[in-house]
This record gives sequence, structure tokens and C-alpha cells, in this order.
Amino acid sequence: MSDDGECGEAIRATGLAKRFGAAGRSVEAVSDLTVSVARGERVAYIGPNGAGKSTSIKILTGILRPTAGSARVLGLVPWRERRRLAARIGTLFGQRSQLWPDLTARQSFTMLAAIYGLGSAKERLRVAELGELLGATELFDAPVRQLSLGQRMRCELAACLLHDPEILFLDEPTIGLDLLAKQRLRDLLVHLNGTCGTTVFLTSHDVADIEHVAERVVIINAGRVIHDGAVAALRRDLLATKLVDVGLAGPAPTIDLPGVEVVEHNDTVLRLAVDTASVSIRAVLDTVLDRCEVSDISVVDPPLEQVIARVYTASSAGAPEDASTGSSGPVELPATDPVRVGRQG
Amino acid sequence: MRGTVAVLRAAMRDATARRAAFWWQISVMVANDLIWVLFWMIFFTRVPSVRGWDSEKVLLLFAVLTTGSGLALGILANCRRIPVLVREGALDEVLTLPVSPLRHLLVSRVDTVNLGDTVFGVVLFLAVGRPTPLRAAVFVAGVLLSTALLASFLVLIGCAVFVTGDGESSGLGTHAILVLSSYPADIFQGATKMLLYTVVPAGFVASVPARLIDRPDLTDAAALVLITGIFAALAWTAFTLGLHRYASGSGWRRS
Amino acid sequence: MNAVAGGVRWFLVPAGMAARRMIADRSGLVVAVFFYLLVSVTLSSLWRAAAGHQGSVAGYSADSLTWYAFAAEAAICGIAVRLVDEIGEEIATGVVTAEMLRPASVVGVRLATVLGRSLTLLGVLLVPGTALAWTIAGPPPGLGPMVALVLPAFALAVTINVIMQHVAAAASFWLRDIRAAWFLYQKLVFVLGGMLLPLEVLPDSLRTVASCLPFMAMAYVPARLAAGHPAPELLVVQAGWLVVAVALAVAVFAAGQRRVEVTGG
Repeated sequence: MSDDGECGEAIRATGLAKRFGAAGRSVEAVSDLTVSVARGERVAYIGPNGAGKSTSIKILTGILRPTAGSARVLGLVPWRERRRLAARIGTLFGQRSQLWPDLTARQSFTMLAAIYGLGSAKERLRVAELGELLGATELFDAPVRQLSLGQRMRCELAACLLHDPEILFLDEPTIGLDLLAKQRLRDLLVHLNGTCGTTVFLTSHDVADIEHVAERVVIINAGRVIHDGAVAALRRDLLATKLVDVGLAGPAPTIDLPGVEVVEHNDTVLRLAVDTASVSIRAVLDTVLDRCEVSDISVVDPPLEQVIARVYTASSAGAPEDASTGSSGPVELPATDPVRVGRQG
Repeated sequence: MRGTVAVLRAAMRDATARRAAFWWQISVMVANDLIWVLFWMIFFTRVPSVRGWDSEKVLLLFAVLTTGSGLALGILANCRRIPVLVREGALDEVLTLPVSPLRHLLVSRVDTVNLGDTVFGVVLFLAVGRPTPLRAAVFVAGVLLSTALLASFLVLIGCAVFVTGDGESSGLGTHAILVLSSYPADIFQGATKMLLYTVVPAGFVASVPARLIDRPDLTDAAALVLITGIFAALAWTAFTLGLHRYASGSGWRRS
Repeated sequence: MNAVAGGVRWFLVPAGMAARRMIADRSGLVVAVFFYLLVSVTLSSLWRAAAGHQGSVAGYSADSLTWYAFAAEAAICGIAVRLVDEIGEEIATGVVTAEMLRPASVVGVRLATVLGRSLTLLGVLLVPGTALAWTIAGPPPGLGPMVALVLPAFALAVTINVIMQHVAAAASFWLRDIRAAWFLYQKLVFVLGGMLLPLEVLPDSLRTVASCLPFMAMAYVPARLAAGHPAPELLVVQAGWLVVAVALAVAVFAAGQRRVEVTGG
């Protein structure tokens, strides 16, 4: 069949569908999902809760059988050739652990190495290599339950890289990590992709994960792909908005700048939506600090749900028939959705 | 095979990582078993024998049961946890590894509390089983078959979760086989006894191996091997087919 | 009259609620009934086989041993399993401390809840238990007047057991791990309480010890009566143990409460 080596395709899924539950009360988690990923690509696979991200990853890694559709990962049908595929891919799930809490990571590696058929010499070499790459050598000898979440995730990453996988599937890898640990993990993924050519397929809720790790973003909702494009374009079109939250120590005048929309303003809080394409964050901060008595200030990305909502707005504006597709499970936004208000204004 | 051994070694290390808890659990189980020995000893002060089972034979049965069930529930601890593993979506991790999922699951958890039973059973056999090389060999073979049969039965009934979505029926089955195996199958008669040699093969878990140690018999031995093989095949098939219906539970909750 | 009604209301309301919850938990009841019948049938088969050999064991015929086994098991299975563990855990995690803030008596309300649950479960078990024992061994020996003795004996047995489990669980105020206490308690009930074997089967020395301990009031008494031995004085023994158990529970929980107040739990 299609040789993955020749066409350079790591993942190809066509018309995947998965239904859970008994006939009467079944839920369609994934419906008619078509997606493909080239070798060496870094793809973010995102969507709101219940969009079918995890279900599709589980189908692509051979954990679940789809109800319909076909898929090949590295040329293998995941649910039929699960074991052969498992030997060539790595999976990291923020919610689950490959490592045994009462053992040291190194002890778990020994077990995994035996499972993947690595000889003990090769195992030692690889563990040393990964320890260096992840800056985690000194973490490998403590019982895993004594590690911080960030440290544990680095060990988890080492565990799923042990057999030098060709594709890395990561489900919410940064969940619960502090900022530094998140940044470190993101850098590692990019580095790994650059040096080893590992294909990275990642799901996340965190807009920053997508911006910093992925080159391409696939957005799904209600089991279907609703957007597929380069992150650079998404950044230009949809991630240009930042939110500036200002804690006020006293009364403040309204900020009136081009590209800045006041989302909320009362005695203690001022929230601004800033279109960074037309005004720099620095200019906004300067103005705010100049005119207001500030007790606290922060700059954040808009939540993913809002970004996705805008994908809908954009696509339904371009193609009216998409709006009906969207109505099968549109993202529900609060009435006071700041970004939407900002964009429409 | 090397993988399986490595997993078992890791599971063993994991279970013994907390020394104090480990020895405490072992002692509790040994004390528990001692109470049962006490029960049988008191029982046989009033009753010389029950349908051919005297105190020595019953203690032999108890030695086989504690050793075998200790191995099944201790070393192959996940054999009775299939329902909870399936419901929680805990098969996910196993399914991302290039291994046979059932084999990996079975060896990847050791419950030390049940290892106390195994230790006790072996000591009991050495103490009251009049060990000779032949009797010891039959004891070892009988215990291994008993372990395999018990584990297979528990996996088989656990696989009901793939259809029913809950672990209730398998919970009942687990109770049933463990209680029924603890007594000589001959105390039952008629249909109940028939049941213990077929559907709920409690008779083969301890009574038959114990009888074999005392009086090696080809028919008994063949029946034990056959029924173990049948239940192992059924368990394997049920699990493999069940996996097709695996829905990964509520694992990876934040989808 | 109203004062009396008000006085027992704090007990009856939680007990009634617990009873309704127990009935509503269908799958829990199915498991409990199944396990009870399983163990009773197994034990009675053992005793019938044993008696069959020589006609009787320690003065019990095969049929009366069957009734003994079903009754003794009902008295023990009628109680939520691992009660000591449960309460111990609740003491350790501060649930009980929170309850102590309520105006009603802590021990009293807890007892009401557990008793409501346990007596309901006991009632549920007795129906299929009686039916099955009747099928195996014929009508209960001394049917009729004995019922007047057996039913109160069951109620007393479960009540004493529940209260004593609270006393054992109260060890959690002082110990971190009370599994040992629970374990010991359970085994004492099994052997010295007469659950596994009638006390008459025990060797004399052990039997003397057993008759001086409260455990015999928890299984042996109702089972002995159900097996057809008219011994109303056993109810008096139970009543005595009930008084002792209540006194112990009040004392131990008062001491525990003081300890929580001093150490902050």
C-alpha cells in the first residue's frame, strides 16, 4: 500500500468516525475526520473540551477502533497493527504516567527498554543521551513520586523517547506545569524535532503551546476539522489579540487608543483587548501606566475557546454554509466575550 | 519474554518499595491464615473426617489454596482488576506499548498482601504436607495450574465489563470462587458439586490438586490440565474480543 | 409523650434515612445477599457433611447446624463490611471532628445511621436466608415461641456489634493505622464469637474465654437460639453486653473528643 517513506507522510486519516455507547444512546465523538501530517512536521491539534481530540489520538495510536473510516500511521493501520506501530511511536499524556511512582525513572526505563527490545548497552547509552538532552540526569535516580510535576514530565518525555520514536503523540503535555517548566518542555520538543526529525503531534488548551511548538494547527470541533493551516497565518489573523488586565488603585480615565478595545472597566479593574497588529503592547502599557494608578498588571493570551470561536466567525463570514455546520456544536461564548466585542467594534 | 520478566521485576520492586508496609501486610496475611488453620484444627477435634477429608488432607488443600491464590492475586494481581482497569481507561498505557496487553497487564501489578498467603502456603506444605520429592513436585505443578486457573477465571468474568460496563457480576464471581475453593469440594453434593467442577471451577483450584498430591491419578491430572487450558483460552479470547469494545473510560479526562 | 417523641427523634430520623438509602442501593443489596447465601450454604454444607458422619456434632444435629450457620452468618453479614476501617478513616480525615460541631450527640447520630443501615440489611438477608435454610434443613427447630427470642437476639447482636466496632474504630483518635485493630476484631468474632463454629465445638479452655467476651453476643446467641436451643438467659447476657458497649462507646468518644480539642485533630 502507500509507502510512508516515499510519500513522506506520517499520518493519514480519512473519514474517521467513532461512536461510543449502545445503539439508543450513543455519542459520536469523532465524525468524518480527515487529516494528514507529513514526516517531520510539528502539528498542534486543538479543539474545545469534548471536540474529539483525545478520541482521534487514541484511534491513531491504536488504542481505540474507529466505527468508520481508514487511517495509516507510518504506513500501518493502527488498530490492526498496534504492536508494530507502538514500537515506532511515542506517546505522552499529561494525565497518565508511564513511570511507576515508587520506582526511580531509571528503573522504569529498564523495564521499558526490555519491552522495546533495547539491549542493556544500548539502553545505558540512550538513557545517558536523554538525560543530557533533557537536562534530567540527576532526576532519574529519585523515586518518581518525589519529583515535581515539571521534573516528572521531563522523565515521562525521556520514557517515551527511549526507543527513538518516529512520531511523538502528546496529549496536553503542559497541563499543570508552571511557566518555566512549560517553556522548557516546548523548547525541548522543538529541539527534538530539529535534531532528530521527530514528527510532533500535540494537543493542548494553551495557546502558547501552539504558538511556540507548532508550525501547523488543526482545529477540530464536534469531531470535524474546522481549520487547518500554518500557525504563522493563525498568529497573524487570530492570535494578534492580547488581553491586558489592569488592577486599579484609583479611578482611571478611559483608554482611547487605535486597536485597543475596553472590554471591562469599573473601579478596580480595567481589561483591554489589544490588536497587536495595529498597536504595540509596549505603547499600551506606557499609556496605561501614565494615566492610571496601577496596582497590578498582566498581559495574557485570549483563551483558546475564543480563538476557536473566531475561526468560526471567520469561516462563516467567508462561506455561509459553514455556519450550519458550526451550529451542530458551536463554541458557546459568554455574552461578555471580550475578544469578540473587541473585534466587532 | 524478556519484556515480561522486566515488567514483573519492576512490579515486584514497586510493591516492595515501602518496606514497613510490605512486612506489615505479609504479617497480617500470615496471621489471617493461621486463624483458618486454627479453625480447621478445632473442627477436626470434633469430627474425625468429612467425606474422606481428614485434617491432614484439608490442611494440604489449604496449603495449595493459599499458595495458588496468593500467586494469582499477588503476582498476577491485575487478574481481578480487569473491570476497574477497563472502566477507568487504564488499558490506555498498556495499549501504547508494543506488548501483548493481557500478558503485560497480568504481570504489571504485584499485591504484597497476597504474597503473605503464598509464603504461608509453602511453609504449611513443608510443615504438614509430608514433603517427598514426588509430593513436592506435584505440589508445585498443582499450585501453578491452580494459579493459572484462578487467574483465567477471574479475567474471564472480569471481561463481562466490556459488555455490561460495570464490575458487579465479576465481583460476585470472585467471591464465589474464592469462598468455594476454601473447602473440600466433596462437602457439596448433586448439582452444586457438578457446578464446582465446571462453570465455577472451584473444585479444581484446591481440592483436585490436594487430592493429586496424596494420590497421583492420571484422570484427575488430565482433567485439571484440560479445565485450566479451557479457562485460559476462554479468558484470552474474551479479553481480545473485549478490547474491540474498549472505550478508554474516562481516562484522559481533559480531552 | 411529646417530650419522649422529641427525645428519640434525633435517633429515628437519621436511622430511617439510612434505612431508605440501604433499600435504594439495589446493587449493594444484591452483592450482600449473594455473599451471605454463598458463605452460609458453604458453611452449612460443611457442617452437614460433618454431622452426617456421626449423626451430630457437639449436640447439634445436621439440621440445627444448618440453621446455626445461616443465623450466625446473617448476624455478621448484616453489618456493613469493614465498618471499623470506614469509621477509622473518617476519624483520621476529620469527618468525625466536623460532626462533633453539630449539636446532636456524635456517637448517637452515627450509631443511628449505621444501625438503620445494618438492621435493614439484616432484615433483607433474613428473608432469603430463612427460605433457603428451610429448603435445606426443614422448618426451624422450635418454630413459634422461639421467634420471640430469635428476632430480639438478632437485633441485639447487630446493635452490640455495631457499637463495639465504633469502640474499636475510636482507636483512630490515638493510632494512625487501625487496620490491626479491625483485623483482630474480625478474627475474634469469627472464632470466639461463634460465627464459624458453635462455641460448644471449641475446646473447653477456649470456650471459657469466649463466654467471657462480648463477641459471643454478636453471632453465637442468635444462632444458638435459631438452632433450636431454648435459652432465654442468653438475651440477658446480650442485654448486659449492650450496656457495657454503650458505656464504653460514650467513654471512648468523649476521650477522643477531648484529645481532638487538645491536639486539634
